[in-house]
Amino acid sequence: MFNNLDVDLFIKALQETVFMSAISTIFVGILGLILGVFLYLTSENGMLKNKFAYFILSLITSLGRSIPFLILIVLLIPFTRLILGTILGPSAALPALIIGATPFYGRIVELSLHEKGKDLVETGLSFGATTFNIVLKILIPESLPSLIRGLTVTAITIISYTSIAGAIGAGGLGNLAYLYGYARNKIEVTLVATFLIVLLIIGVQFIGDFTSKKLTKK
Amino acid sequence: MINIKNIKKVYKVNKNSFEALSDVSLNIKANTIHGIIGESGAGKSTLIRLINGLEDYQDGSVDVFEYKNIIKLNKESSRMLKKRIGMVYQSFNLLERKTVLENVLMPVSINRKAKISDIKKAKELIALVGLSNFIDKYPNHLSGGQKQRVGIARSLINNPEILLCDEPTSALDPTTIKSVLELIKDIKSKFNITVVIVTHDMYVIKEICDYVTEMEKGKVIENGEVDEVFYHPSQLTTKKLLSSIGLNYELIISNNKHIKNKYILFFEKEIVESSIITDISIKFNTRINILYASITPNEKGIMVVHIKSNVNEILVSLKSLGVVVENV
Repeated sequence: MFNNLDVDLFIKALQETVFMSAISTIFVGILGLILGVFLYLTSENGMLKNKFAYFILSLITSLGRSIPFLILIVLLIPFTRLILGTILGPSAALPALIIGATPFYGRIVELSLHEKGKDLVETGLSFGATTFNIVLKILIPESLPSLIRGLTVTAITIISYTSIAGAIGAGGLGNLAYLYGYARNKIEVTLVATFLIVLLIIGVQFIGDFTSKKLTKK
Repeated sequence: MINIKNIKKVYKVNKNSFEALSDVSLNIKANTIHGIIGESGAGKSTLIRLINGLEDYQDGSVDVFEYKNIIKLNKESSRMLKKRIGMVYQSFNLLERKTVLENVLMPVSINRKAKISDIKKAKELIALVGLSNFIDKYPNHLSGGQKQRVGIARSLINNPEILLCDEPTSALDPTTIKSVLELIKDIKSKFNITVVIVTHDMYVIKEICDYVTEMEKGKVIENGEVDEVFYHPSQLTTKKLLSSIGLNYELIISNNKHIKNKYILFFEKEIVESSIITDISIKFNTRINILYASITPNEKGIMVVHIKSNVNEILVSLKSLGVVVENV
């Protein structure tokens, strides 16, 4: 059914999808954590309660989340060309993927920190600790299992974003499914590409669940 | 040690404001166990959090140690103050992803790297609360009582001069309550610290407190030595709380209004163990009917008796033996 060329294409596409997803997830993990921590800290119950700062952060987060991903890619074309010099290939998808998914993870982080936040913060304050140390040594470590679960959901969202990015030239499995499967009418290519994406997502979910469970000291 | 003067504290929720504390004044002496009792919402948890600066206030002043009006302290001094005060919580507030040892070390390790001497100290404290076998276990493997013991060990790691306990026994079952209270009492005498304990349970006050403050709707309604309050409660709420632990002689008195010649007898600790009533009963060949008898936290005796005859002679005799007599 497939010749060698097709197999090579699938391997290359899979590598590109994994590359885009992995790099974006790392960046989103870090940037989303920072965004989420500040959303939490400046919120009504936070240690740095600040209505104005929270409003601004919240507005940016909501805006980022409400722009459909396809439109975001198009909006970011000038920015991408400016920093990468091209708008084609897996690397060119990174700015859009990172900017699109960071607000998503930021909100998840904010919610995770709120779960046990009040008691943990009070405990930290009663030790005479600084805000920085409370966040770094109590809040984040204690919320880690929940943060990992959130990052898993985010990674899966990023994988589906890569397919959209692929369709307009970023490479990867989405690109393959669209270019060969749809444009050249090879339905079996689309099916295999879909199957590979599903496998990838199941794999990510499994790793996420496993890590989160390991980190919960039950 | 702790001096709270005319504190007013208002919470603002949206446009409504709620006065959590109104004109609260309280003096807590060094080296005592001071209980604060009241129903939920009475303001007692807010009051205890004033002492280590976890709550702010709008009016009045809180003086702790050499610090005057602690709300005015800069961040650094405020953190110094907090390090000198340990805190124990109703829900323990342990870190679930840290072992018992790491939890006990937390008040140190959050501010600087723990030294070998800190780890030694933590291990000693864990031994003191009887959890040496659980040193590497995580909180989820411990029972409620054990978690609270970890909480107590943790509160002592910075050598505090004050220990604040916010409903320390409210999440525990009755048998565990007694042992945790005994631990707190032992710690108080071992380390010479001042303990402030918030509770809704008069049993806690009876078991370990020297002084008691009763709060209702953000106000102090009763305050004094436990014995004094237990003998002469001035508030209806106090009397109700005392009945809840079987310490309400006034109820006995009002239920027996038809009986004349009733007396309340107060026995000092030194004479509690002598058989004064029996001796006098035999000496005057008179029956003395005991309507109520109890021992207060400081082991003083209190009794309501009905003396059938030879009343005056018996009263003189009782007074000469050091019994305080009150006609009711």
